[in-house]
Amino acid sequence: MTHHSTLPEAPAKAAPAPVPPRRPFARHNLRTVIAFEFTRTLKKRGFWIATLAIPVVIAIVFALVYLSNSSTEARSDAQKTASFSFTYTDDSRLVSDTIARAIGGTKASDAETAIRDVKQGRSDAYFAFPAEPATQTVKIYGADRGIFENGKYDAVAKQLLTVSAQAAVGSPQLTAAASGDVKTEAQTFKDGRLTGGIGSAIPPLMFLVIFYVSIILLSNQMLSSTLEEKENRVTEMILTTLNPTTLIIGKVAALFMVGAVQILVLLTPVAVGFLFFRDKLALPALDLSTITFEPGPMVVGALLLLGGFTVFTGVLVAIGAVMPTTKDAGTIFGPLMALIFVPFYAISLIISDPQAPIVQVFTYFPMSAPVTGLLRNAFGTLSPLESVIIIVELLVVGVLILRLAAHLFRYGSIQYSGKLSIAGTFRRRGQARGPAAGK
Amino acid sequence: MTLGGAAPEPLVHIQDFRMDFGEKTVIRDLSFDVRAGETFGFLGSNGSGKTTTLRALLGIYQPTAGTLHIGGKPFSPRDGARLGYLPEERGLYKKESVLDVMVYFGRLKGLDKSRARTWSREYLDRVDLGDKAATRLDKLSGGQQQKVQLGVTIMNDPELLILDEPTKGFDPVNRRLLMDIIDEQKLSGATVIMVTHQMEEVERLCDRVILLKDGTARAYGTVSEVQEQFGGTRYRLSYSGTLPASARYDVVSDAGGNAELSPRGGTDEAAVLRELIDHGVAVRSFTSARTSLDEVFIKVYGEQPELAEARTR
Repeated sequence: MTHHSTLPEAPAKAAPAPVPPRRPFARHNLRTVIAFEFTRTLKKRGFWIATLAIPVVIAIVFALVYLSNSSTEARSDAQKTASFSFTYTDDSRLVSDTIARAIGGTKASDAETAIRDVKQGRSDAYFAFPAEPATQTVKIYGADRGIFENGKYDAVAKQLLTVSAQAAVGSPQLTAAASGDVKTEAQTFKDGRLTGGIGSAIPPLMFLVIFYVSIILLSNQMLSSTLEEKENRVTEMILTTLNPTTLIIGKVAALFMVGAVQILVLLTPVAVGFLFFRDKLALPALDLSTITFEPGPMVVGALLLLGGFTVFTGVLVAIGAVMPTTKDAGTIFGPLMALIFVPFYAISLIISDPQAPIVQVFTYFPMSAPVTGLLRNAFGTLSPLESVIIIVELLVVGVLILRLAAHLFRYGSIQYSGKLSIAGTFRRRGQARGPAAGK
Repeated sequence: MTLGGAAPEPLVHIQDFRMDFGEKTVIRDLSFDVRAGETFGFLGSNGSGKTTTLRALLGIYQPTAGTLHIGGKPFSPRDGARLGYLPEERGLYKKESVLDVMVYFGRLKGLDKSRARTWSREYLDRVDLGDKAATRLDKLSGGQQQKVQLGVTIMNDPELLILDEPTKGFDPVNRRLLMDIIDEQKLSGATVIMVTHQMEEVERLCDRVILLKDGTARAYGTVSEVQEQFGGTRYRLSYSGTLPASARYDVVSDAGGNAELSPRGGTDEAAVLRELIDHGVAVRSFTSARTSLDEVFIKVYGEQPELAEARTR
């Protein structure tokens, strides 16, 4: 056979014109990776189903609570003002006959007759006020009007006693004071300076909430983000196009942005509910004037969050690089996630006795340090020295783990069929790194 | 970075490359160069070390020993080299649309977004996938996905194009299209390294080849040189009469008036033909042919199933 010319036949269609790259090959790749990973996640229907599921459930619960509360409130108001005939006996001598008459009550001569009248339908209800209403039960006998309607007897009996007591005292303030219905405002001092109390603990605790929400919502995506390249056989194209560290950092940054979107979506119904329907939803009042933002704990909280997020992300990405499939990675993923909840088993110790040995272990062990540190920081038991040590530890360990993750991705992500030997990837140059099969 | 530049050294330089996996040595003392602008065939049976060599060249594997350079230094994506690599294990982001994936890789390879988008659409039109731009990759057939992957490989106008079994998964029509595209890349000045089992493609496209067996080079040179090394030229003739013994050739086969002669010492076909006629042989037909690469392959590797299969495709 003779050697043919390498000249081709004319192609049927013209090829696209060659494209000289306009910008250097390696620049802006981080931004490109972040944009690609972020937008493609937001384009997924599954992402929105998962993200909106919780707010939708919250909204449904809020709606039910709203409707229920509206109905209950109306019924309660109706019951308080319910007009029906009743008789009563009063061993406490607290009930005002005048007030009782005004709302349809008649004093009964004896209990037996009053009960018989109720049974025979001559009276709607009979209330037997005991000598000591504070410790003894007010007995109510009423004609059955259904489970919900029957509540009016209880409401009227209580209302009668309360209004009568207020009339006896002669002062609503005294009544409130006697019932303990008073507001207090405390100020505490440390080293001569005013401390914030619980109001100053709430803002730094938000970092703990953000940490938990981010990890819980994003951990699966972190795990699958590097597995995706492996499972789709994209790795070799990627490794010859951009640096694996750029890819990993880009993915982590995109995940952080995705997490921010998810938190925003989650918080929106809560915020709307609180701001516009707080009374209807029976949400507790939040006195924002007691919240104080102290710069120190806020900065420490932010850095602990950053360090903790870096550590957990790195670990999850590394697992993805080592394990061949999402299913295999799941076996490690479960126990790892449990680690971030472990400090809560010792939460009372963490808050009350930060020097306890177990608290110290949790404070410095990288996987439990973020949660323990964030709790202690919020409650003011984390010293500046401890803060610095934990933050440095988390950031250093986080960066090292991310570097390890990038390394494992480089050498592990083309191992398609089995688990990567981590030790194998660190063999000296005398032993090649890569899957144990040559082609 | 420019891969070739004005440097006198070859574009790809591999020297004393060795690769061990555990106790097993899969490549030993492999050395070869690929010159700028040539199309280089990287041949060998499965497991002979081709893909391992390419991965080590591209920094995916860390070599045990040796020098593997592209453009005078080890490859790194940070350098911004215009490389197009179509790996043997191939795939793209299957849940994304064709256009999104192409634009993403275009951006990573240095194109701006609008240019990447325009180029991708033109390419998709050319390979009859213009209506699939918004389709998810996992909704395409295997061959269609291969076309998209090839587009991703060449979209940055690569100076060095490395194709590991590029025709795998293509039907004959699309294989022809693929070959046309490779031809165009070559004509535009790209250096092409191609791993394939399709010997006719090698003979048609490649300037030089290397044959790998068990991690060592068994032949290296131009296609003609390799053919020469493993059999060289043969003269086939139909005749009547008796073939004379001659110092100018050896008789490889002779039956029923058909013979195959192997010339000695560079004897040309005219001298052989003249000698036959001078000795009274009535020659009815006389053709000269080189040993095909297929035949070279069989000599080097024996009849291996994957080669037999490739030759029948």
